This record gives sequence, structure tokens and C-alpha cells, in this order.
Amino acid sequence: MSRKFEEEEIEANLLPVMNIMLLLIPALLLAMEVARMAAIAVSPPKFAATADQKQEEKKDKPLNLKVFIMEDGYRVSASGQQAGADAGKAADSASPTIALAKPGTGLEDFDRYDYALLGAEARKYKDLFPHETVVTISAENSIPMQVLIQTMDNLRGLDCRLIGAVNAGEEVPPECMFWQAIVEAGAG
Amino acid sequence: MSAESDAAFMARKAAKREARRKRPEEKALLGMTSLMDAITIIVTYLLKSYSSDPVVIQPTQGQKVPMSLADTPIQDGIPVYVSQKSITFAEKRIVQMDETGAIDPSALQGHLIGPLYDLLAEEADKAKQMAEGKGEEWEGRIILIGDQNLKFSVLVDVMYTAGRAEFKEYAFCVVNRNG
Repeated sequence: MSRKFEEEEIEANLLPVMNIMLLLIPALLLAMEVARMAAIAVSPPKFAATADQKQEEKKDKPLNLKVFIMEDGYRVSASGQQAGADAGKAADSASPTIALAKPGTGLEDFDRYDYALLGAEARKYKDLFPHETVVTISAENSIPMQVLIQTMDNLRGLDCRLIGAVNAGEEVPPECMFWQAIVEAGAG
Repeated sequence: MSAESDAAFMARKAAKREARRKRPEEKALLGMTSLMDAITIIVTYLLKSYSSDPVVIQPTQGQKVPMSLADTPIQDGIPVYVSQKSITFAEKRIVQMDETGAIDPSALQGHLIGPLYDLLAEEADKAKQMAEGKGEEWEGRIILIGDQNLKFSVLVDVMYTAGRAEFKEYAFCVVNRNG
């Protein structure tokens, strides 16, 4: 004897699915935010100092720190004197102050520069001139932008956080060295 | 199993079926709480991300924005996208680069990039008028969204052109490494 059973309607329990969805949505949204954008403020070179600035300069001799990025290293100079130049010379363009960390590598290798040594050099200047915050950076035409940015990072200080100073008007932390960068062409 | 018990079973089943048929249909209620939770999260997230960024940065195809440890947020300004292939402003490709990543010489007059200057000067005029209307001072900030491999010479040309168009403040857009 055959028995006919009626199909019973089964109500799907969607609660566990919705729970998983509820966890997945914030997780995916958080994963989406992979790139947080930031900005580095730079200034163009100033050609004429104001009257106030001229008076200030007379009182306190400026450091006038300049970093020139070359294909074979950094040339660092302060107060018109290149660090590591031959005796009696203000500048010695033949050799860089800080040589490459990875000589023989191409320009596409952004880590070929000795950023650690540049940071240490900047720290020395900062200790001598604690109130100085300005650095003038220039580079040879072929230098990639990533190298310029990493150079700025190391001159500013790797532990420097400026968000509090910018957003809340707090004082610039002491870890920040030369955080005001002037970018100019052909500064040797 | 006897025929009697079989008949009793069938009778019970028929009675159950009858009872089920007579039962009034229940209205299905859709659980909206979870859905509303999900929508609330999405809306809050989107509102947060749009309100915190005054400028929405959308790099052009193939553009690799430089990485940095800088944590300063992007302030309001006019974005200019400079990749190794082109200079893009207001979603228009203005200047093409050659295969070495240098600016097309026909667009250059010394350091001045002619087509970019025209558009930036026009934009500066508009922004100045708007600021004047609001009774505010025009900040004149330009946001340069470059590329990791962008040559310094190109960067200098763009900065020089922006300066000629009366922009006073410059910001390099970077991707925060700690982000």
C-alpha cells in the first residue's frame, strides 16, 4: 500500500545568516580602507625676506640646512658649508656627503640611499640648532618622487607625528626635526 | 498491523489535514532588525569617510602614490594628478608624457606647462571669487598627487606652473605607511 505524504513547508531560519552578514559587512568595509591618504606641506623658495625676518636673522644666525639629492648620494650643507667637503672648500661637488647605502643599484630602487645616516646627520644639526625647523631640499632631475618623500620623512624624524599640532594646535613634538620643507630646483 | 489500526491511523491523519486546512493563514513577518543594523553600519561608515576627507583622491590608472610616514590629514585644496603618463586636472588629461616620463616638450615654455597654467589660473580666479563672496581669505592650496617614479624635474615644473597661477601653498599627497 502506497502512502502519500504531503510536503511540509519548512521555514528557513535566516537568523544565523544575518548574524554572519552583520559581522562580514564591517569586516569588509574595514578591509576596504587599505590606503589612508596624508599630506606633506611643502613651501616654494622665498626670494626676498621681509623686514622682520631680516632683523631676526641679525640676532640669531640661521642654520640654512640644505640637502641635495644626487644620483650617487646626498650632499648636505649648513650655513653655506658642505659637510665633509675638502679642507678649505665650502663645497666639494665631486663627492657626496652621504654615499649610497646600496651602490650599483638603479634609480628604481628607492632604498639605495642611506636614509639612516641622513637622519643621524639631521639629528646632529637639530641638537646644535634646536629651534630650526626648515630644510631646503633639491634634487637632480632624474630623482624619483618616492626618494624625495623618504628623504623628507627622515629629515622630519621617523617618530615625528604632526597630526596633533595640525588638528588641535598642540606644540610640535620634540621628535620632529626639520619638518618644514622648502622644495627648490637646482639648489646645490 | 491490523486493518482496524490502519483505518484509525488514516482517520487521525485526515483529521489533522482537515484541521490544518481550516487553520487561518498566518501572515509572514520579515525580520528587518538585522537589515537595519547592516544599513546603519554602512551609512555611518560612508558618512564618516566623506566628512573626514575634504578632497576625495582618486589616483589615475597605473598611478602609484608615494608612501610616507607623514600623518598630517589632507586639507582642502585643488588636486592635480601627475603620473608617469600624463598630467590630469579636473578629470581631463591635459598633458601627455613621453616614454621616459618627461613632459611633452611642445607643452613646455621653460618650466611653465602652458595647458596646465591656463586651467589653474582659471580655477584660481573662480576660487578667489568664491572666497571673496564668503568673506574669507583664499588659501591657494594645491594638492599634488604624484607617482613614486615621477621625476623631480616634472615635479618642479608642476610646482613652478602652480606658483605662476598664484597658488601659494603646496601639499604632496602620500599614502600613510602606518595606515
